[in-house]
Amino acid sequence: MPEKKQKINRREFIFRTGIFGALGLAILTFVRNIVLYLFPERKTKTYHKYLVAREDELAVGRAKQIYMGRTPVFIVRQDEGFKVFSGICTHLGCIVKWEQDKERFFCPCHKGVFDKSGKVVSGPPPRPLDEFRVEIENKKVYVFVEDKTRSPWA
Amino acid sequence: MSFKQWFIERFPIDYQKFVEINEKIFIKEPIPTHMKKWLFAMGATPLILFGLQVVTGLFLTFYFIPSPEMAFESVRHITEDVRLGFWIRGIHRWGANLMIISLLLHITRVFFTNAYRKPREINWILGVALFFLTLTISFTGYSLTYNQLSYWATTVGTNMIKEVPVIGGLMLHFLRGGDVVNANTLTRFYSMHVMILPALLMFFIFLHIIILRLHGVSIPEGFEKKYYPFYPHHFYKIIIATLFLLAFMSTLTIILPPGLGTPANPAITPQHIKPEWYFFPMYRFLKLFPLHVGIYATAAFVLVFTFWPFIEPLLSKEKRTRTLFSRTAGILTLIITLALTLWETIVI
Amino acid sequence: MDTVKAQQWLIGIFSVLLIVILLIVAGVEMKKSRTYEPEIEVDEVSARCINCHEKKGLAPKMITEWKASKHAVVGTGCIECHEAKADDFDAFKCPESDILIGKHPTPNDCAKCHEEQVAEFGNSKHGVAQIMMALKGPDRNVFEPTISTKHGCEQCHNIGNYWPDGSIGECDACHSKHRFSLVQARKPETCGECHIGPDHPQIEMYLESKHGNIYTANGDEWDWNYKSGEPAPFSAPTCATCHISATITSGKATHNVSERLSWESQAPFSVRTQEYWGKKTWQEKREGMLGVCYQCHSKSFAERYLLTADLVNLQYNEIWEETIRWAKLLRKYNVIKTDVLEFDGQAQTSWPKEGYDEEIEHSIYRNWHHEGRRFRFGAEMMGADYTQWHGIWEVQENLVKIIQLGAEHGVPEAVRWLKNKNANKFTLYPLYDIPGSTWGPSILAFRGNMPMDRIADYWETVYENVKRAYEKGLLTDDEWNLYNEIYKNKDRELGRDVPLPPIHEEYMKNLKIDLKQLYKEQKVELLRSKIKP
Repeated sequence: MPEKKQKINRREFIFRTGIFGALGLAILTFVRNIVLYLFPERKTKTYHKYLVAREDELAVGRAKQIYMGRTPVFIVRQDEGFKVFSGICTHLGCIVKWEQDKERFFCPCHKGVFDKSGKVVSGPPPRPLDEFRVEIENKKVYVFVEDKTRSPWA
Repeated sequence: MSFKQWFIERFPIDYQKFVEINEKIFIKEPIPTHMKKWLFAMGATPLILFGLQVVTGLFLTFYFIPSPEMAFESVRHITEDVRLGFWIRGIHRWGANLMIISLLLHITRVFFTNAYRKPREINWILGVALFFLTLTISFTGYSLTYNQLSYWATTVGTNMIKEVPVIGGLMLHFLRGGDVVNANTLTRFYSMHVMILPALLMFFIFLHIIILRLHGVSIPEGFEKKYYPFYPHHFYKIIIATLFLLAFMSTLTIILPPGLGTPANPAITPQHIKPEWYFFPMYRFLKLFPLHVGIYATAAFVLVFTFWPFIEPLLSKEKRTRTLFSRTAGILTLIITLALTLWETIVI
Repeated sequence: MDTVKAQQWLIGIFSVLLIVILLIVAGVEMKKSRTYEPEIEVDEVSARCINCHEKKGLAPKMITEWKASKHAVVGTGCIECHEAKADDFDAFKCPESDILIGKHPTPNDCAKCHEEQVAEFGNSKHGVAQIMMALKGPDRNVFEPTISTKHGCEQCHNIGNYWPDGSIGECDACHSKHRFSLVQARKPETCGECHIGPDHPQIEMYLESKHGNIYTANGDEWDWNYKSGEPAPFSAPTCATCHISATITSGKATHNVSERLSWESQAPFSVRTQEYWGKKTWQEKREGMLGVCYQCHSKSFAERYLLTADLVNLQYNEIWEETIRWAKLLRKYNVIKTDVLEFDGQAQTSWPKEGYDEEIEHSIYRNWHHEGRRFRFGAEMMGADYTQWHGIWEVQENLVKIIQLGAEHGVPEAVRWLKNKNANKFTLYPLYDIPGSTWGPSILAFRGNMPMDRIADYWETVYENVKRAYEKGLLTDDEWNLYNEIYKNKDRELGRDVPLPPIHEEYMKNLKIDLKQLYKEQKVELLRSKIKP
């Protein structure tokens, strides 16, 4: 007889585990949904193409400065292809100058020097100049600029 | 040294007594046997819904911005952009509707089982107060979405306050925080909706339950005077109700998601404006009579309704006659209310 | 149901149900009622222009328009197009900022980015629009005061404007500034700004055609913003579909609107187009146009339609030649008095196309410039009413008027013609024809009292004429083969042998009702007032 009692108890145990397991899972799902709600979704960045130059406008080793919004931007024709740099020095945020005769960028604040491919040659800058992704289509040079919206939730 | 010991040293309560009280108040709370029937066990539904409203409402405030420029836009943001925002908002919105429905059912049940009679008159009055507080909190919540319909419903709804004698104008001015519905109205309503009214509701619910517990649940005629303990049977009932309500409201949200309407425009009144459905009887009634007559009649009804437990004994000394009287009045009220609601629903 | 066990079962069931529903909720996404437009970034100079123009209210709408343009998104601001050097013809120093700007960007400026399109445009008939008006337009130079032509013919013909910087064209004639909206440029109404009115009513023809009808009915459901260079996803062609857009079967899109035109059917005599516009033979141009038709039509229908239109052009040439023959005859008999108007010994008009000082010369002019064009264009573009009532009917009317004037002045041939009772007297010129109908065979349309019944050896002559046109190189081999095939099945095409259906009898019975008798029966007898004139 004790054996039988044991059996019923085990069945009862499995039953309760099932029921209250399900209840626990339901509560977990509920909490999971709420957590999803509370943490705003990280948006994948989208980009648009921004025309910066025509291919035939620059000879190899030549550069052109334009402004995108208030950001100074340099388009430099490399031996192969184009590179487009942000003109903001990676050291402390001054604006670099293009020196055509030396084919290099010079930052007047702390004498940082970058070569035409953006690499640091001398001075304090910790990393190369920031680059934009470049695409050439129909002899026109485009860069990819992150879409910014006026949404209050950005 | 166990954790319990460690804790009790720092929080020196009489543990034995605590267990006793807990057993007495909750675990072994005597529940009359008739409450094993689902029909009689639904008094807790409004409470469960209120709890869910508090939770979802709290989460809505994480994103809602109570300003005329941003109210509608942030509601749109919650509904369309925020992950599962439509769900939280949907539960909040359906919860409000279901809360009113469940209150109406609860009141009907209490009324027709004569549970308001001596000595429970005060609890009836508290219950009626809770019902009207719920209507008010629904009204203020509805106006927060700040779309065309809610804006104009707010305008029309607040205008009625003006009919209160002597202080009506002052009250209207206080409520709106200006002459017309404006930014002040929105922030006032927000404050009422999320702070003042919930606090009042909580306090009244607390009183309502205390009185209920002190008297014990009333037993309708024809049921045995037998009891069973709160745990586990009735406790499970509450869990089942909660699970069901959440599932039901989530389903409703998928099938009928909360809408947005068009942004409020104080310059244009829409062609057809209607309040939420629970104001339909009153709205239709007010259309039938001149405004002040309608409002006084409604006020009179509310007063009679509230103080019915005290009015009833005045009508007759015979218990049977009273019951007959009450049932007739109750059925008449039900029919008229339903008819007015239906009328307003059908006619544009 | 009241046991604790049952309650526990319910908890389990509802828990599972809730989990399922919550997971469904997590998968549901709400439809977005609004999206946020990307913020526009421009270079510093342009930003200065925009801020100042908006603040001062100087043509701020052009900035609003620009903001809605693709230019704004890709960062093409003001100065990119309005760039100028000090000695440019349109150089202008902005008095507020000292920025040097070009007041009027020309195709040269557009070509900085849209080089191919500008080149294609320069190779098109649009590119010679101003030449046609300025150098070959005696109506403007002789007949009308110049002031009236500025906001008249010049406004449209400026699409081929000659700029002081050497460039030719006016891109914003179609691509309205400053939005440069593809949708707007693609709408037929844009072409209809100029291709309208008695001398070239293409927009009216289009709108009355089946193509235009479908556009009017469904055009607002079409995606007008499709990617440029790709075939238009429309259910019917617009102007641009046939003359500009890419199709799978006719190749890439082109800004040379004449690249698929195989006739100069605006000219006094219809001639096959030459290679100087589009660097393609007229046969290649025809292939291009047929390629567009093949998007919706079968090869046999499209070829037959255009073959018929070709024969209309050839037929028009014969009518025009007849018109000129009579004009010359009238001149010989001194019925037409002055012919060429001149100044300083230099001819200012041509003869017999324009003379303008005698009424009959207007009829001659219109037989080419107005009615003659409508006749031909209508046949090419499905403008039935323009081929018919605004076309051949008026062409014939003009011709009769010319002969009539000759008869009034006793020109013997004209007098003879007027007295002639032969029903064939209106087709004085050689005829072209094709058996049957493009729209499908009819067993009624070609029965009884047609020129083919009255004129001896009608089909043999017509066949010979078409053959000669083919041999002259005015029809393609495909067209000649198609013609032969149709001609071979002449009897079937004409459908004269097929018995008419019984209902025809019924119809004819109804038509036999004597309308004159009916009117007599229904006439009301009225009283007259007693007025003595």
